[in-house]
Amino acid sequence: MLTDPTSRRAFLAAAGAAGMTWLLSDLGAIDEALAHAGHAASLPRPAEFVNLSAADGADIEALMSRIITSDDGPGAKEAGAVYFLDKALGTFMAPQKDGIVAAIAEMRKQAAAKWPGTTSLAALTPAQLDEFLKGQEEGPAFGQLRFVTIVGTFANPSWGGNKDLVGWKLLGHEMKPMFQPPFGYYDAQPQGRS
Amino acid sequence: MQARPTRRFALTEEVDFIVVGSGSAGGILAKELSTAGHSVLVLEQGPRLQQSQFEHDEYKHVFQGGITSNRPVTWRRSADQEARTGDGQLLYASLVGGSSVHFTANFWRLREIDFIEASRIGGVPGANLMDWPITYQDLEPYYTKVDWEIGVSGAPGPFDPPRSRPYPMPPLPVKSSGVLFERGARKLGWHPQPAPMAINSRAHNNRPPCQQCGYCMLFGCEYGAKSSSLATVIPIAEATGRCEVRPESYVTRVETDDRGRATGVVYFDAQGREQRQRAKAVVLSCNGAETARLLLLSSSSRFPQGLANSSGTVGKYLMLNGNTTAMGQFEHPLNEHKGAQVTRMLWDFYETDPKRGFYGGGGMDARYQTWPIVFALSGLPPNSPQWGREYTRLLREYYTRQMTVAGHTTSLPVETNSVSLDPTVKDERGLPAMRITYTDHADDVKTMQFMVDRSKQILEAAGAKQVWGPDAQVQNFAAHLLGTCRMGKDPRTSVVNSDHRSHDVPNLFLCDGSSMVTSGRGQPTMTIMALAFRAGERISNLARRGEI
Repeated sequence: MLTDPTSRRAFLAAAGAAGMTWLLSDLGAIDEALAHAGHAASLPRPAEFVNLSAADGADIEALMSRIITSDDGPGAKEAGAVYFLDKALGTFMAPQKDGIVAAIAEMRKQAAAKWPGTTSLAALTPAQLDEFLKGQEEGPAFGQLRFVTIVGTFANPSWGGNKDLVGWKLLGHEMKPMFQPPFGYYDAQPQGRS
Repeated sequence: MQARPTRRFALTEEVDFIVVGSGSAGGILAKELSTAGHSVLVLEQGPRLQQSQFEHDEYKHVFQGGITSNRPVTWRRSADQEARTGDGQLLYASLVGGSSVHFTANFWRLREIDFIEASRIGGVPGANLMDWPITYQDLEPYYTKVDWEIGVSGAPGPFDPPRSRPYPMPPLPVKSSGVLFERGARKLGWHPQPAPMAINSRAHNNRPPCQQCGYCMLFGCEYGAKSSSLATVIPIAEATGRCEVRPESYVTRVETDDRGRATGVVYFDAQGREQRQRAKAVVLSCNGAETARLLLLSSSSRFPQGLANSSGTVGKYLMLNGNTTAMGQFEHPLNEHKGAQVTRMLWDFYETDPKRGFYGGGGMDARYQTWPIVFALSGLPPNSPQWGREYTRLLREYYTRQMTVAGHTTSLPVETNSVSLDPTVKDERGLPAMRITYTDHADDVKTMQFMVDRSKQILEAAGAKQVWGPDAQVQNFAAHLLGTCRMGKDPRTSVVNSDHRSHDVPNLFLCDGSSMVTSGRGQPTMTIMALAFRAGERISNLARRGEI
């Protein structure tokens, strides 16, 4: 379990355990580095969307939740992947905003044609969303939707998603300033080492 | 821990040397020339970052450009095509320390054969394979300087060339990928060995040992444990009081006088103003693509086809090395994201072997290169679902249980593979963009496929549950930029002599990947650094004797 991999205390404890006394001689530099790393891990979640409308945000989140699903544990929804997109649309993805909004509107239309009375993708059941996405796989927006879902789930939290490191926990990716061997099963086996 | 710059040269001042570029070669030349007593101005196009500014941020470094150059590059496969941006990519860092800041740190020496292969095997049709004007024995003392002054960890292997001094540091601790690589290779009767890495395995030269954070390739090391020029030689150069490193200085032209001698350079400074600095001599260490471009940009009525280009070979014979990958999935977690990228390699297939039916050779290593986003985008085996519950399940199961075997192979010097100036696409200053024309020689593609097949064999022999990887194909991506101003005795077929002095301009020196005559087997930085140590010594001696 990753508690707070960027805390100074955890770092110094690890450094001490490793006999890294050279590190302890330069605490200023360590604080600087940890402040930087900590910034990435502790940005507060925005209360609401800044660049997406509430309806678009909810619909995109619903689609994302079926790309990296929460069936067997936290996925894109719990990682807040949609907040990565929301943040990016205010900066480097701003030129793509109109296209994305239009694509979501078009998807809503398609969903309404398939399931009359549907006004939001977020109102569809998981099985309906899966069926809907299957129909989108070859479409122009799917690749981009998949890409932003993945980045929103697995990029550093400073980009707006990967809340509480949900994405990294899903993979088993630990982010720590330092590790010590053994790292994995095979290098922990005495007969495996040479 | 880092030395602060102590010297500022006025624009009106004539320095002994301008070194353009602060990477693997430029950093060492700055150190060698300044410690020998010369005044040195290093002009680096990228910014200066402190170690504490290096981040573990995959999205920034792998997808948003991070610390790499964003200057436009156009690409085409052959001269009859129109080159376009986006059809290929060169990957090199743009900051003080250059690509030595973001390299993976595989530090293979060349072997004796790499310097004399042309005369040993004869020619290869479709290529212009040449011997180097120097031998392994000439370069060996400087490889040893790299081992000790820059910092390389490792242990001798059965195919190593002779070395005059042991490694200064033992190998890095083996990872699970290294254990499995060894297991598979030994079963096949091959000879895996600890990878020589420019990463401290213990404290060395007042720098700390590797903290095994896992962010080497494409990232800067916040600990200074990776032996970049920024962490090693640049602080020494600056501490002499005779060296200034001037960041955000984009050199666009080497100027010459009516005697055909270099007088200095023109560059855009950090504020975008055009500036001139005079120098008694100029050294270009911009990398194997940028050095050639700068020479071509420096054409004049006296040098109409580009500076130092009477041979017409500036920019030609571009070599990128072949790169291959194969992936394996294992039963238990390897946790490859922990620890330095690479801990084991093998050289059993280094030599070219006529029995294979084609020229070429290479090495292999076990490594991690699928960070979380890259892995989720493309790390699962072919035919895996790409979204949904099963996709998510596979992400959970595979990420920690996967490893890569990478192959690194020869590139033949082919005249039509080149760096030139694009006739239409311009950079942000209105200067012609770099244009790459490149198709791997057919033998190079066969060598890559040979390495793909053997990489998969290793993974299977190691007990992988599943093995996959793309077949070899013509490449349109490169991080190794070699051969474009090659070294040689004959001014008609080479650009610099064995002192790295250009044949045409006596006070212009070129030293970086462009100097390499052959491509080695895929890990050129150790050789670029050794060449720079040797060049620094020879150039300084020439200057002392008044022969520049």
